[in-house]
Amino acid sequence: MMLELLFQAAVALTATPSPAGPWKAVLDLAGGALPFALQIDARGRVLDGRLCNGRTCQSFSAVRIEGDSVILEIADYAATLKASVRSDSLLGYYHNVGSNGPRTIPFRAARGRWPVSRAPMRLAGRWDATYYQELGTSPRVFDLRNEPGGFQGRIISSTGDYGPYAGTVVGDSFAIGLFDGSFVYLLTGKLVGDTLRGVFHAGLRTQTPWTAVRSTGPPNLKSPTEVSRADTTVPLRFEFPDLQGRLVRNDDPRFRGKVLLVDILGTWCPTCHEATPELLRLYRRYHPRGLEVVGLAFETTGDTAIDGRQVRRYRDKFGVPFPLLLAGLNDNESIAAALPQLQDVTAFPTAVFVGRDGRVRLVYAGFHGLAAGPQHARLVREFETEIEKLLDEKRER
Amino acid sequence: MIRFLPFVLLASGLAAQTPPDVAMERSGYLAWLKKGPNSPLSAVAQQRIGDGVRLGPAGADIPLAGIEEYRVYPSGGGLVLEGPGGKRPIGRGRPYRIGKYALYLTGSQPGTVLTVFTDGAGKEPPGYYDYDASMVFTGPLLRPENPERVRILASDGMEAEATEVGTVVVPLGGRTSLRVLRIPVAGGDESELEIFFRDGTNGDGSYPAGRFVSLIPAGIGKFRLDFNRARNPFCAYSPVYACPLPWRGNVIAEPVRAGERYSGGGRENPSAGDTAK
Repeated sequence: MMLELLFQAAVALTATPSPAGPWKAVLDLAGGALPFALQIDARGRVLDGRLCNGRTCQSFSAVRIEGDSVILEIADYAATLKASVRSDSLLGYYHNVGSNGPRTIPFRAARGRWPVSRAPMRLAGRWDATYYQELGTSPRVFDLRNEPGGFQGRIISSTGDYGPYAGTVVGDSFAIGLFDGSFVYLLTGKLVGDTLRGVFHAGLRTQTPWTAVRSTGPPNLKSPTEVSRADTTVPLRFEFPDLQGRLVRNDDPRFRGKVLLVDILGTWCPTCHEATPELLRLYRRYHPRGLEVVGLAFETTGDTAIDGRQVRRYRDKFGVPFPLLLAGLNDNESIAAALPQLQDVTAFPTAVFVGRDGRVRLVYAGFHGLAAGPQHARLVREFETEIEKLLDEKRER
Repeated sequence: MIRFLPFVLLASGLAAQTPPDVAMERSGYLAWLKKGPNSPLSAVAQQRIGDGVRLGPAGADIPLAGIEEYRVYPSGGGLVLEGPGGKRPIGRGRPYRIGKYALYLTGSQPGTVLTVFTDGAGKEPPGYYDYDASMVFTGPLLRPENPERVRILASDGMEAEATEVGTVVVPLGGRTSLRVLRIPVAGGDESELEIFFRDGTNGDGSYPAGRFVSLIPAGIGKFRLDFNRARNPFCAYSPVYACPLPWRGNVIAEPVRAGERYSGGGRENPSAGDTAK
């Protein structure tokens, strides 16, 4: 209903109106509308703006007017939103270019803010979901909740999640989206009896049907400690440059005989941002007893200058006191090549707990932030228990 | 019975106009072909990196006129570009300039492929047949009992692991059954339902080896097949790209005068005798 109300305004016929202000925006995918929000600000003749999913926002790298159109650029993903500006609507397309050519998706927006949408209690909570694909089924967990900014959800797989989805609820139906300039994801669903049914939309055309039942027992997914495996027979070896270009190795004096927590992260990964304050807390608490932490950043470009700038920004944002190393590109093959003693590292972040003898004791895939409540508390307990156990082990090297 | 039925929404006078979504898609694609730094129209060389690739002087793996020696090779977890100015890591998704050339990496190690592009000025994209509303069909997809994974070359000539998703039947050339594969799009959870087909225009207006067209979801259990969106494999734009083998079946025994045309410049005589599994 809300979407139907978009763009019913009169058309301005003279000069291009200012695009400044809040906008209710959608991408029109083949199977439905992906909702998100825009905020465009004008300071004199200079424009800037943000793209938001609920309260999670990112800034555009550039905002400018060309003719009767506004152009919103997301440089990190070589992506653009281009739309003609009417008095109270934007109409255009989202465009980004990959190796296979451009991806073009219709985009429209109306002035204003999405109303804060709240789900009935029967929709909120954790759901064990099953995706139906050609070659079989695939498990997910949906975490749907009412947040101060409105209805939000996370789609969690055995290897983590892409961040919060935000959107609208009408009765027992919902549509929540995640659009950051690169990911184009929409989850639509409806409660039928005690089962949720719907479609997961990826990009313009990919549609995967799913059903979900309320989580009542063990998690639908693998345990975070069962996702990745490690060779535990010999010390974990690594050697990567730090942000000053100096090579840091596993057998450097600062790590020798210490318990080591290796944080596999990416600055592009929102969950890694959530995890870092907890790692800092663990570091401050246990460092005096012999805990070291090292962050291995797998980034998006492989270009030292660009990736280094991102990781420095990350370090400064959190005040990270332990080394952050540029470990490579964020694809499975690069990670496997960089850390051949670890298998199936597919979650960001992944925490690798290393004993005083240098051997891996536990690999924990993913991270549950504060918003995950009991799961966060359990994760904190598991991390602390493992660190305490390793600190108490006899020094062997 | 599984049939695709003609999908006629508008009177013939209006139906001849290109719908806005098709026009927008074409305009973005043509702009990329003309000006994109990785437009396949301007590709001049392509090679799998393997242990390393030398570029520049005559005798190099990829000779590039007026360019001193550069090498691209694996190092640590990534790839390095080494040249007269030193060495630096290079990643995927963005161009690396060497003189008038741009280097692009595609795919993951150990199968990463290096493609070299040059200024494509002067090369015009082939363009499209006039929009034809009678070439749009909608209907169901007949699912296979035991879908299989198959390795194929996608439209960009890169090997991909696809999944059989079924067949559609179109009322062209009698009744023609077309295989549909789900082909992943790099990164994330996206994929496309693709059909690689041949028809009576191949070699006589359209590319000899055939064309790709995507199947578009159109409501529960239904899909839209719009041949006006048919597009060339990249080997039609430049001979540096591998040409996908035609898929088993998927031959429409009449001309499909819709979608992208061919005006020469790619692989002129792509193999059409063999078919992929």
